[in-house]
Amino acid sequence: MQSLNGKLNSITESFSFFVPELILVSALIIILIIGLVNNKRNYVFNFITLIAAFSSTYFLVTGGLDVNVILFNGMVHREGFGAFLMILVDAALVLTCLMSIDHMDRRHISEYYVLLLSIVLGCHLLLMSTNLLMVFLSIEMISLSSYVLVGYSFNKAGSEGSLKYFLFGSVSSAIMLYGFSIFYGISGTLDFSSQQFFDSLIDHPSPLLLIAGTMSITGFLFKIAAAPMHPWAPDVYEAAPIPVIAFLSVAPKFAGLGVLTKFLLTIHVFGQSDYNWQLIIAGISMATITFGNFSALWQQNAKRMMAYSSIAQSGFLLVGIAAFLPQGINFMLFYAAIYLLMNFAVFIYLAYFESQGIHSIPSFAGSGKQFISASVGFTVALVALTGLPPTAGFTAKLFVFSALWESYEINHKTLLLWLLVFGLLNTVVSLFFYLRIPYYTFLKSGEPLGIIKKLSFQNLLGFILVVFIVVMFFIPGLLMGLINRINFVL
Amino acid sequence: MQEYLLSLLIFTPLLAAVIALFIPSTFIQAFRFLAMMATLIQVVFIWQLVTAYEPSASLQFVEQKSWITLDLGAWGTLQAQYFLGIDGLNITFVCLTVAIMIIATISSWRITKNVKGYFILVLILNAAIVGTFSALDFLLFYLFFEFMLLPMFFLIGIWGGPRREYASIKFFLYTLLGSILILIVLIGLYISVLDPEHSPKVVHTFNMLHMTHPENFISGSIFDPENPWMIGTINARAWAFLLLFIGFAIKLPMVPLHTWLPDAHVEAPTPVSVILAALLLKIGGYGLMRIAFPIFPEAALTFSWLVGLLGVVSIIYGALNAMASKDLKRLIAYSSVSHMGFVLLGLASLTTEGVTGAIYQMFSHGIIAALLFLIAGVLSDRTHDRMIDHYSGLATRMPSYFAIVLIGFFASMGLPGFSGFIAEILVFLGAFKSNTTNGLIHESLAVISTLGLILGAGYYLWAIQRMFFGPLHLKGEATIEQLVPLSYREYLMLIPLCFAAFFFGIYPQMILNWINPFTEGFVNIVVETGKRLTPNL
Repeated sequence: MQSLNGKLNSITESFSFFVPELILVSALIIILIIGLVNNKRNYVFNFITLIAAFSSTYFLVTGGLDVNVILFNGMVHREGFGAFLMILVDAALVLTCLMSIDHMDRRHISEYYVLLLSIVLGCHLLLMSTNLLMVFLSIEMISLSSYVLVGYSFNKAGSEGSLKYFLFGSVSSAIMLYGFSIFYGISGTLDFSSQQFFDSLIDHPSPLLLIAGTMSITGFLFKIAAAPMHPWAPDVYEAAPIPVIAFLSVAPKFAGLGVLTKFLLTIHVFGQSDYNWQLIIAGISMATITFGNFSALWQQNAKRMMAYSSIAQSGFLLVGIAAFLPQGINFMLFYAAIYLLMNFAVFIYLAYFESQGIHSIPSFAGSGKQFISASVGFTVALVALTGLPPTAGFTAKLFVFSALWESYEINHKTLLLWLLVFGLLNTVVSLFFYLRIPYYTFLKSGEPLGIIKKLSFQNLLGFILVVFIVVMFFIPGLLMGLINRINFVL
Repeated sequence: MQEYLLSLLIFTPLLAAVIALFIPSTFIQAFRFLAMMATLIQVVFIWQLVTAYEPSASLQFVEQKSWITLDLGAWGTLQAQYFLGIDGLNITFVCLTVAIMIIATISSWRITKNVKGYFILVLILNAAIVGTFSALDFLLFYLFFEFMLLPMFFLIGIWGGPRREYASIKFFLYTLLGSILILIVLIGLYISVLDPEHSPKVVHTFNMLHMTHPENFISGSIFDPENPWMIGTINARAWAFLLLFIGFAIKLPMVPLHTWLPDAHVEAPTPVSVILAALLLKIGGYGLMRIAFPIFPEAALTFSWLVGLLGVVSIIYGALNAMASKDLKRLIAYSSVSHMGFVLLGLASLTTEGVTGAIYQMFSHGIIAALLFLIAGVLSDRTHDRMIDHYSGLATRMPSYFAIVLIGFFASMGLPGFSGFIAEILVFLGAFKSNTTNGLIHESLAVISTLGLILGAGYYLWAIQRMFFGPLHLKGEATIEQLVPLSYREYLMLIPLCFAAFFFGIYPQMILNWINPFTEGFVNIVVETGKRLTPNL
């Protein structure tokens, strides 16, 4: 047992590695205080949040992707894998801020940014947690803020979506917490990266482990909107304002993915576990891809369609984990980075078109003539989500599925082959709905809209992201080189 | 400059497309002349290529630059190259592409709706087709292969006929399904294949030439020929062959995967139909010859009966459908299905004659199909009505058109003196010889496939009889005044194609000299390597 003095020393030393989170907290407090005085100036809050996001990213990058330190007496563990996902989460915050510049008409502006910052902070903590209690607290931090944020359109639909999200979230948290408590009972420790935890997994092969593991990952699956914990997504996506959806479809998903990866690798115990978690996660991935894609086929509302799309994309991200290979995890990170670009590009264009009065998919009819550059950019982003060349979406799919092939080569599990075939064939299904918007924009003719604001900041932002998506196809080494520097440790 | 000829061929239309982006859309003539310029510049390049090309089995005009090199840690390095080259197989198709693109550009003069977008898409398509035919790196091939889909989708979907939306989506879904099957094999292949130039370093390569050598496969990898492991009742390599076969057969198209083709053709505007029939279909056959057969030779030998059988089914079924078609364009589309069946039959025989015939058939069909779709376009431009039974006695009203229709139909029928005859006779020879030399397909397939010729004569002659003979009489909306004589622009497209169909029918030697060295090597390698590896299957 460490002395109190030692503990205090460790805590003060830990702070030097905790700069990004401290920045986020300070920004949060500053915005909260300014908001008390004057809650009208969107750009002030936006600017502070942007500065915080950029400086947090800066410290993460300078901290290096090969960092590996245990902080706060083993409560959190900063390492490269988590740091990379944190950078992506910060990037999501930057893009969300840029998307929110135009949204001046909202009430409670400062709280909006406070909630965004607290979600990002929660994501950071979740990505560093190796302690089950810490995991729970971080997830709740993300969830509670998200529930409120979903209701930010201040209408009936918003409250409904928010409430649904809350109910679903509380139930899955409860299940997850129950799973954690079983693990605590078995192993006597909350730190799932510790040797004690590992030993207990190997020493006590019992069905209880399967139950506890399944219950625990339920909570993570809820965060990443994977089957069978996905049904909340469409209602929430439909109700919330677009910048909020764009943010929620990326940040909590990556945090959930990070912790899910670490947790699964732990309970898989390098294949020594009695239960084949690889097959379970492959099955979940297959179900997620299939549910997401097939449900998206019938949607008339672009936001609902994107909700199912984000479910399906979670499935593809899970493919990287399902390979259970170091390469698979690196490829998943690559996929995640590209997914960030693709998803934000789509939502930025959706926001742009919504500001022009286009809401449902059929109302896109004929817009191709009026908004030619936006429509082309939008089409490229959707093609990237489908996974066709020459976009990085293709490269990302190519990579995760190569890891899966490789994994199949090693252990000959037929389910992995099915996942490979089904996953890729699902691309054809997904084309059908992703292409519906370009289909209406270019192929159908419609009534021309009255007021057109052609050049806007959103349009430019979307274009930049689209350029990145295409460039990453031709030079994937830019990103992959960065990811290869990650030294994956649990 | 010689060493960059292929890149120049690919990037000229792309550059033109970029220039077109910056020209205001009101300058309609500018886009037409720009596209024409691009294709004419391509002719200059192709002329240099043809004159410098020496018929041999080796690759020429090779361009090999590193493109993607990714270090993947313990797993090795992933390497995709910008790797282009020309041999006896693809030189014919690259030439055909440039020639057809000129015809298609002239034919596009009549497009008036959103001219800028149209020509940009056609130029991108042009680059993608040349790229697909000359790429020797699988990833690069796949890039170009997929790159064709979106332009084609929009070309059919925006500039097409009344049911264009349905047809374009159907086209896209079918082709994408095929390309996903190819993608599955692509991923498996690059994981399994090592670049011998870098050994013992582990460099996973997409190089198609390395993939054809069994010794480059990592021992124990999924497509390793020595790998005893089965998925169901056949091994992974056999599955891979079947996936590639289906993937490319959709593009070809082969019965029963052909149903997208008649719809796409009927709805597509004339120039797009020409490109689709003359060039895009050839990529299916080309892919089988470049990828499926040489990389998985033992599976090719095992399943050649299936390839041959489905070829014969396509020949007969396509011909019967053509006979039942009421729409002239649909008739021609089904005749394409029937003719592409000969490609499969010739390829399945794996004899020098058969494979040469298959390649020659693709080349010849490229010319004849372009001619036939232009013929259909002439009629639909005038009357917007292609129903065969709405016309009769056209011969008296449009005699010169009738003459060209006769040449086109007879050439497509496979009458001696036209290029189709040479191709089909070679395929028959190969199919007959196969059983006695390598025992792959039975003679009866060749016998049954000759029925296709008889049916072909049937539907064409019947169509001529209905449309051109008898008293001049029109049904439906069309009026006799609309049937004006052919314009100079139309002559400019039709006459060279008629001449080409005729020229390559009486003097096939030029093309055969190109194809033959390739075919001999191809047949030897596939049969020998295949027989060597067959015990593993």
